[in-house]
Amino acid sequence: MFLMRFTERAYVNYTEEDVRNSPNEAVRLTFSNSNFDPQEGHYLYNMYLDEYEYSEEVGFDGLMLNEHHNTPTCLGATMNLEAAILARNTKNTKIVLLGNPLPIFDNPIRLAEELAEIDMISGGRLVSGFVRGTGVESLATNTNPLHNRARFEEAHDLVIKTWTTPGPFRWEGDHYHFRVVNPFQVPMQKPHPPVWIPGTGSPETLVWCAERNYPYIFLETDPQGTQDMKAIYAEAARENGYEPGPENFGYLVRIHVQDTDEKAYDVGKGYMVGNIGVGRIPLPRDYASPVGYGSRSDDPRFLRLREQIRSDPFRVGGLDGAQYDSILDSKRWIIGSPDTVISQLREVLSFMRPGILAVWTNDGSISHEDTMRCLELMGQEVLPALREIGEELELTDPFQKEGVQPGLTAL
Amino acid sequence: MANFTEETISVAGGNLQVYKGGSGDPLLVLHGAGGNAGPRRYAQALAEKFTVYLPSHPGYGKSDRPGWVETMQDLACFYTWYQEQEGLENVRAIGFSMGGWLAAEMLSMTGHAFSRVMLVGAAGIKPVDGEITDIFIINPGQIRDLAYHDPGQVPEWDEMFGSAPTPEQTDQAESDREMAIRLTWRPYMHNPRLPAKLGRVSVPTHIVWGENDNLVPVECADLYQQALAGSQVTVLPNCGHSPQIEKPDDFVQTALAFL
Repeated sequence: MFLMRFTERAYVNYTEEDVRNSPNEAVRLTFSNSNFDPQEGHYLYNMYLDEYEYSEEVGFDGLMLNEHHNTPTCLGATMNLEAAILARNTKNTKIVLLGNPLPIFDNPIRLAEELAEIDMISGGRLVSGFVRGTGVESLATNTNPLHNRARFEEAHDLVIKTWTTPGPFRWEGDHYHFRVVNPFQVPMQKPHPPVWIPGTGSPETLVWCAERNYPYIFLETDPQGTQDMKAIYAEAARENGYEPGPENFGYLVRIHVQDTDEKAYDVGKGYMVGNIGVGRIPLPRDYASPVGYGSRSDDPRFLRLREQIRSDPFRVGGLDGAQYDSILDSKRWIIGSPDTVISQLREVLSFMRPGILAVWTNDGSISHEDTMRCLELMGQEVLPALREIGEELELTDPFQKEGVQPGLTAL
Repeated sequence: MANFTEETISVAGGNLQVYKGGSGDPLLVLHGAGGNAGPRRYAQALAEKFTVYLPSHPGYGKSDRPGWVETMQDLACFYTWYQEQEGLENVRAIGFSMGGWLAAEMLSMTGHAFSRVMLVGAAGIKPVDGEITDIFIINPGQIRDLAYHDPGQVPEWDEMFGSAPTPEQTDQAESDREMAIRLTWRPYMHNPRLPAKLGRVSVPTHIVWGENDNLVPVECADLYQQALAGSQVTVLPNCGHSPQIEKPDDFVQTALAFL
C-alpha cells in the first residue's frame, strides 16, 4: 500500500462576517483578496513546507499536493512551485500532484516543461495527476466551462505526446495550436511520470481512466457509492483487456491522530473550517458547477450513479455541509488515538481496498504544533500498522504491481 | 390580438423554431441571451402592423444546436443563411440585448440583411466607464432582479414570473444559458472589432435603452450611436434592461414611430 500525506494548506485569518459581506457570500472566487495578509502567507507557506518535509522523515511514501484558485481554503494556487521546492528538499518520497487542472492552462507545453523539471530535480519522483478543476477554477481563469472536458482530454494528449514523442512536431487541435512542440527538457521517468487521476466519481472520468489504466483516487467519496464507481471502472478496464486491482484505486480520507481520543476529537474540529472555509457557507452553485460544466450523458448506469451520489447523506455541500459528530459516526473522517485510528482504518481499508491511501492529516485551524504531533504519531504507530494491514489485505500499490505499472500508459 | 403560430423549419441542416404572427411587411425579432420568451404583449402589438418572425436562436428553445455555431459571428452567418432561404432579406428588425449584438454583427457583414434596425439594450460594444454585468456568476433570480427597474410596472409579471418554474422550464433555462455561455464567454458579451466594422452601415438604425439598465450600461447607447452614422437614440426613463417587457406601451410607440 502506498501511503501519502495531504493537506490543502488553508488560510483561516478571516471571519464568517468577511465571507457574508463578500459578493454572493462566497468564500471562493469573489471573496476579496483584501482579506489576505502576505505576512501571514510568508509564515504559512514555510510552515506547510516544513510539515511536508517532516512527513518524509516520519515515513510517508508520498507527499500529495493540490491546487485551487481565488480561495483562502487552499494556498496552493500554483502547486508546481511547492512541488519544485519539495523536489529539492526531500530525498525519497514521491511528489504526487493531484492534480494540475488541465483545462485552465492555455499553454500545456509550459506545464509539460515545469513537470519535467520537477521530475528531473527530484530524480524521477514525480507522480503527475491531472484534474478538470472545480467550476471556480474555470471562472477564475476565464476558461469556458462548456469546453472543460474537451480541453482536459486534449491537453492531456498533448502533454503525454510532448513527453513521449521526440520533437519537433506540430499540434493543431480543437483547443490547442502549436507550430513547434519541442521543449528541450523532458522528464527523467520513462515513458513518462505516472499519471494518477483524483475525483469524486464522475463516470466519464472513471471510464477515461480505465481505458488508460490510470489509477483513480476517490476523494472522500461515500464508501457504498464508491463500489458502484469501481464497478464502472472495472467494466471499462475489462473491455480494455485487463483486470483492475487495488493498484488501480486510491482513497483520500481525513485522518487525524493525537495521544488520546479526547485530544484528537478537540483538535480535529479544526478541519471544519478547512476546505469549506470559515463560516462554513456553501458555495453558490454557479461557482462550483457552472451550467455546461457537468455532463449530459444519458447512459443509465451513469444516471443511476449520479442519483446515488446525490443520495449520499453528506453530498449536499460535501462532507463539509455536515455536523462534526455525524461525520465521525459515519467514519468518513477518522479521528482519535493511534489505536482507535488503526482499528477504524482496518475496517475502511477492508471495504474500500485501495492500493493508495491519501492521508489528509490536518487542515483548517489545526495548529502547527498539533499537526507535528499528529505526524510524529503517524510515523511511530499508524503508518507501520497500516503497512501490515496493507500486506495482510494484499493492497498492492502501482509501484508494487508486477508487469505493467498502472499510470504509465503512454498514448 | 394577432394570432401567432409556432413552426419548425429546416435551416442549415438543423431545425429552427419560429413564432410567426400578424400581417404586413416582415419584422424579424431577435431575442436576448436569456432565451425566447415567445410572443409577449409587445410582439402582439407589433403584429398589428407587421408579420412578426420570432425565431429561437440555434441552441435555444426547441431549435437545434449545430456544433459549428460557436460564436456570435457564426450565429450571424446562420441568420443571413436563414434570411436568404426564407426570402427575408432587407427586412425590418429589432434585436434585444444579445439579439441586438447579433443584429449589429449582421449589419457589419452585409448591406442586404435589414432595411431598418432597432437595437434595444444591445450587448456587443464594451462600455468605457461601466461594465456589462457578468450574468454567468449570478443565478437566474439575481439576473431578474437586475433586469427590471420596477417589477410593479411590468404588466406581464405574474404571467411570466408569478409561479415557480416547472422542472421542464428550469431545464430549458439551463440549456439556454449553456448556449449563451458558448456564444458570449470571451470576450464577454462584446466584440472589440465591432465598432470599427459598423462604419459600413448605411441603413437607418435606432438605439433604444432603459435609463436604469443594470445589465448593459446606458453609456453603450452613445457608443452605438458613435459607431452607427446617423443613428437615433431613445432613452426610456424609469426603465430597466428590457423596455419591451417593462414598458411595452412606450416601447411599441417608439418602435412603430421608427419602423
